[in-house]
Amino acid sequence: MTAGTAPETSRRETSRAGRDIFLVANTTDELGGVTAWMHQMARLFQRYGHRVHAVGVHRADLKLSLPEDLGYPVTNLYPEHPPTPRPVRGLRRLDVRRRRREADRIAEKKRVVDRLSELFATARPGGILIVTQVWPMEWLREADTAGLTVIGMSHESYEYSKACHRYRWIKHNYPSVDRWLTLTQEDADRWIADGMHNVGFMPNALSRLPDEPSPRDSRTVASIGRLHDQKGIDLLLDTWAEVAPERPDWTLRIYGAGVEEEALKAQCTRLGLDGSVRWMGRTDDVPGALAEASVFVQSSRGEGFPLALMEAMASGVPCAAFDCAPGVREIVQDEVDGLLAPAGDSGALARQLLRLTGSAQLRDTMGERARENVQRFSEEEILRRWEDLFDFLES
Amino acid sequence: MTDRDAAQPREEPLVSCLVICGPTAGAKAVTATVRSVLGQSLRSVEAVLVTGDQAGGEGEQAAAAQGREAAAALAAEHPDRVRLVHSDTDGVAALRNAGLDAARGGHLLFLDAGELLQAHACRNLLAAARSSDADLVAGRWTRLTGSGRKESAPDWQDELHARTRTLTDIGAAPELVTRDSLASGYCVRRTFLDAHGLRHQADAERADLVFGAVAALTAERLTLVPNLIVTRRAVPDHGRDFAGLVDAGARIGRELADRGLDSLSAERERALADDVLLPLAAAFLRLPRAERQRLARQAAEHLDGAARAERWAQLPPVERICVRLLAAGDADGVHAAAYALARPGTVVSTLVERDDRIHWSAEGIDDPQARTTTDVTELGHQYRTLSTVQVMNRLTRCDPDGGGLALAGTVLLPLDVLPPTQDAVTWLEFKLRGRPRTFRMPVDETVRRRDGFDWSVRVDPARLPVRGMRERTWDARIVVEANGEKLLADVLAEPELTGPRAVFPARPRLGRLVADTWQPYTTARHHLALELRAERSPARTSRRILHYATHFRPARTIRRLVKALRSRRDRLNSGAVKTRVYNKLLLRLPTRRDSAVFESHMGKCYGDSPRAIHEELRRQGLKLRCTWAYAKSPAGFPADAKLVRRWSWRYLWALARAEFWIDNQGFPHGLDKPAGTTYLQTWHGTAYKRMGFDESRVRMQNVPHRDRLQRAVDRFDRFLVRSEHDIRTLGNAYRLPESRLLPLGYPRNDRLVAARVREQSEGRFPRPALAAELGIPDHKTIVLYAPTFRGVPKNGRKAQLPLDVRKFTETFGDRYTLLVRAHYMERAELPVCAPGTLIDVSDHHDVSELLCLADALITDYSSIMFDYALLDRPVVLFAPDLDAYAADRGSYFDLREQAPGPVIETEGELLRVLADLKRIDTEHAERRRAFAAHFGAYDNGDAARAVVDALFVRRTCK
Repeated sequence: MTAGTAPETSRRETSRAGRDIFLVANTTDELGGVTAWMHQMARLFQRYGHRVHAVGVHRADLKLSLPEDLGYPVTNLYPEHPPTPRPVRGLRRLDVRRRRREADRIAEKKRVVDRLSELFATARPGGILIVTQVWPMEWLREADTAGLTVIGMSHESYEYSKACHRYRWIKHNYPSVDRWLTLTQEDADRWIADGMHNVGFMPNALSRLPDEPSPRDSRTVASIGRLHDQKGIDLLLDTWAEVAPERPDWTLRIYGAGVEEEALKAQCTRLGLDGSVRWMGRTDDVPGALAEASVFVQSSRGEGFPLALMEAMASGVPCAAFDCAPGVREIVQDEVDGLLAPAGDSGALARQLLRLTGSAQLRDTMGERARENVQRFSEEEILRRWEDLFDFLES
Repeated sequence: MTDRDAAQPREEPLVSCLVICGPTAGAKAVTATVRSVLGQSLRSVEAVLVTGDQAGGEGEQAAAAQGREAAAALAAEHPDRVRLVHSDTDGVAALRNAGLDAARGGHLLFLDAGELLQAHACRNLLAAARSSDADLVAGRWTRLTGSGRKESAPDWQDELHARTRTLTDIGAAPELVTRDSLASGYCVRRTFLDAHGLRHQADAERADLVFGAVAALTAERLTLVPNLIVTRRAVPDHGRDFAGLVDAGARIGRELADRGLDSLSAERERALADDVLLPLAAAFLRLPRAERQRLARQAAEHLDGAARAERWAQLPPVERICVRLLAAGDADGVHAAAYALARPGTVVSTLVERDDRIHWSAEGIDDPQARTTTDVTELGHQYRTLSTVQVMNRLTRCDPDGGGLALAGTVLLPLDVLPPTQDAVTWLEFKLRGRPRTFRMPVDETVRRRDGFDWSVRVDPARLPVRGMRERTWDARIVVEANGEKLLADVLAEPELTGPRAVFPARPRLGRLVADTWQPYTTARHHLALELRAERSPARTSRRILHYATHFRPARTIRRLVKALRSRRDRLNSGAVKTRVYNKLLLRLPTRRDSAVFESHMGKCYGDSPRAIHEELRRQGLKLRCTWAYAKSPAGFPADAKLVRRWSWRYLWALARAEFWIDNQGFPHGLDKPAGTTYLQTWHGTAYKRMGFDESRVRMQNVPHRDRLQRAVDRFDRFLVRSEHDIRTLGNAYRLPESRLLPLGYPRNDRLVAARVREQSEGRFPRPALAAELGIPDHKTIVLYAPTFRGVPKNGRKAQLPLDVRKFTETFGDRYTLLVRAHYMERAELPVCAPGTLIDVSDHHDVSELLCLADALITDYSSIMFDYALLDRPVVLFAPDLDAYAADRGSYFDLREQAPGPVIETEGELLRVLADLKRIDTEHAERRRAFAAHFGAYDNGDAARAVVDALFVRRTCK
């Protein structure tokens, strides 16, 4: 009996630690959730004894602040955004320059694909290739991935993919991978109903749990996110215009920078909210910002599995958010550890904010529960799920 | 022992797929199924092939022998993954139990030979089983349809497997046991089976169905996944499996009753009708008479109709009667009822009237119990006339007769549609399939009976005026003309009457070289048709030559070329190209002075404010070149205007050159407005629900979408409003600056204000001419029902009205006439009601004419209430889903607080309130007037003139 189980466990142990894991994304240094997620997972895998290699298609313009030495190799395939494919058809065949450009692009792509194939050939048996975004599949589809288990990912909700070009890319590229992962079961179900058969799901991991929860004693509502249309800060200002008159002693702090900044500030002035809204700019100290807040608000138009929401909950700050994606519903249980409002209904979001700002008791109970509940997405738990997935895909 | 080690993998597989090779399993089927198992993305899968020595017919035995050979070959090819198990006993249960005993996997999955396992099926099932710790995981499956090429899933599967869910109580997914959901596509945990000692019941003919249901009932945790697991299940043959299916249903019903799940047991009984009995009845139309009688006898033997009648009482009337006839073993009755099921609204039996109720037939009319079953009053057959009735016209004779064809048939007419004394002319008509050509011949003889007539005719080939080329199929039908009405009756032909026996010679005008034979046959819809054929050698030779000429290589090339040209032409005519050409080229055209393009509701009708403005222009005699856009047909649009189809090139040309655009909803968003054009947006109603940028849906759209809407709205130069409320709501919602808002009221409402003024001075009568046109007598009160738009129904189905129209007409038919106007974007399905009680006015062009006519209005959230309030007549708001609607769409005000009449949420209350319209009129007069004053402040009856003055002032000064 014991003789039978001993080699079994040792075999499992060897396969469990020390895999070659390739993480491929659009970029390795872009300011954004997916890149942050990739480096977080890379660190985790590395710490667990795997050999990680991060690969990006190109270098980004707007950089994420990363340490100098990441502790694992990073490869960028192109120095800048590669040219978009422009097939030469019809009368355009007469345009020599256009043909030249397209031929150069194809030749360069070939070189990049060969480089990828060489890289993957160095992997030992049991290697894993994680494609965090669908675009790199353009190259990976042509590269030689023999011997690797390929796992695709989509870091946004089904609805959001469906509304843009990535829907077609996913339908085109992901049927061929071993398994691909959405962020929630609900998104996976939507894709399955859409006719895809190799879909699973994997939530994002909560990066850190602050030692102390926020004291929740300042009269401050915080919002953290890029000032981009997707984050719906314009909707937040509309919402705040309904809240501010009722809560004159409260302040809305908006953390983040982005292209919409000017327009949003103009809107803020137009709504007469300059007195109660503080533009805090970009911050690298999210827990610090949350420690000074009593309520967190998120008004995004589209989300995947929002890290900011999880971080707020980890800091014990109760949240009010638009129910814009399955990921949000997965993280926040409405009326239990946060409050949700129908997507786009700023009146409803304002009512939820009024409830939270109006009762310290509600803030405390929801905040404490949030801090406890969000730990189901702890790094250890998520890592365990990844390890189980690697094993499952080998069986 | 050593032998075993060599042949089998050391580890136990995660999943065992039991492939059951029944008596009909051929080599191809077995191989395909096993290959689908071996091709699983989950590697740790074994296939267990179970065979038996079936006693079957000779052909079957040969096929089964080949199947066994194929199984052996597969086992030899993959010794580590395919195993053979042989069962000495026969039957589904024995085979499956033998497989169960032999399988070694942690999870088991059953497949019948011929079925295919989706490539990721095992991985998906196992992943769900592990994450949810369920005993049984079930997914979707599809089966072949009758043609054997396409596949489909039962309709209840969609909802059952809409999302991944784990249940501990079968009540959350009753279809698992009430329908045969677990016939396939599921896996069970080995330890669970052993713990409960679950095996197949040896004496059950369809032990597989019973096993699935019992496993679902026994399992503590059950997971449903949306994944497709099994495809290509066999076409169900309800005739062959009838006894087994009924027996399995009874066994599962008993299991359910034993566990105290009586409601599920009753539901299982109802499902038997939907899943077995009605499909079996539908098959009667295709089967020969002897087979029908055999099936009916078999059904009568296994079904205890009396015991089940109560449970079938909730079925719709035709279905209910069909099932009852089947249980009674009445083969002809089932055949007729099946025809009525295939063609809803067809009268297929001699209807009988008793105590004001209509019954299917005279049979059992004296038995009060049976009478409730045969009551078909709700079908409305009693109200049908000769031109609206659909009848069964059964072919009784189809014989070659001296170079011609002798046809005879019998038509069943309901309840004095055509009294025997009435003169009638009867024709036999042939219609060329796919084209409008017909020709007819009088029938030789008709014998009138009280409930119909018999007809007979000899078809003489000389009297069939066909050319012979490109005229292959002719559908036959009987035409009866009497009293200015016309009945068209397709000929229901049983397959054994037609067929090769009934051929007769053809004499086409192009000569017998093109075709020489008429072949009567039964179409896919079970009707009689004649096919022109080439049977003899001269005609066949010329056909062959013709075929060669039209199919040889140059002809094929030409066809390809034509197809390519056609697709290029279609591309050039596509919306995208048109938009580009319009925006790049047509916009540069000079504006044509004094020209205007009108459109109402995207071209759906000639009505609303654009029409009122157009009529005002005409009245003032302004010389304006008016163009109206129509969506489908120009019928009903004014003759003095130029008419263009929406999205046609002429439409784009007119838009590009017009000096004025006048519209109530929006010209296509992609089309820019020319520089010199003034766009008057009259809009189509005051807002209750949130609109434009106030709508949550729009607010959540991404930037390109919102920009597109903003660009479309920016085209408006003038926007009509009829109150401060409009300015606050619509003005904000579309971000329109105050300067563009034109506070003149809606021109379409001038008519309403005038009607109120006239009513105050002269009274409501005489009514407008429209009343006489619709045939409404003066003593009847006219109630208009106009619900709001709820979204276009899917799959071309018709919308279901929230109000039960039949109940309304039954209650108030003698006093009220109900006009139903569905939204201009949808069409509603209306039942047949007593004449003069219900009129569908959805196609009427101008809604304000209807409003003037109506003595009362029932609506829900439609903007029609804001207009109707101007008439100061009673309004009832029937809003069963008010809170859900307001929460979903958002609203600008609380309807309950400000409504112009009572807000009613249940049908019972609606009927009670409507009984006394006078009371509503007086009780709500105050509210109604306040409502009209608030929402229609600028509507003073002079809007059309004011708009024309404001817009075309240059011309009026001239």
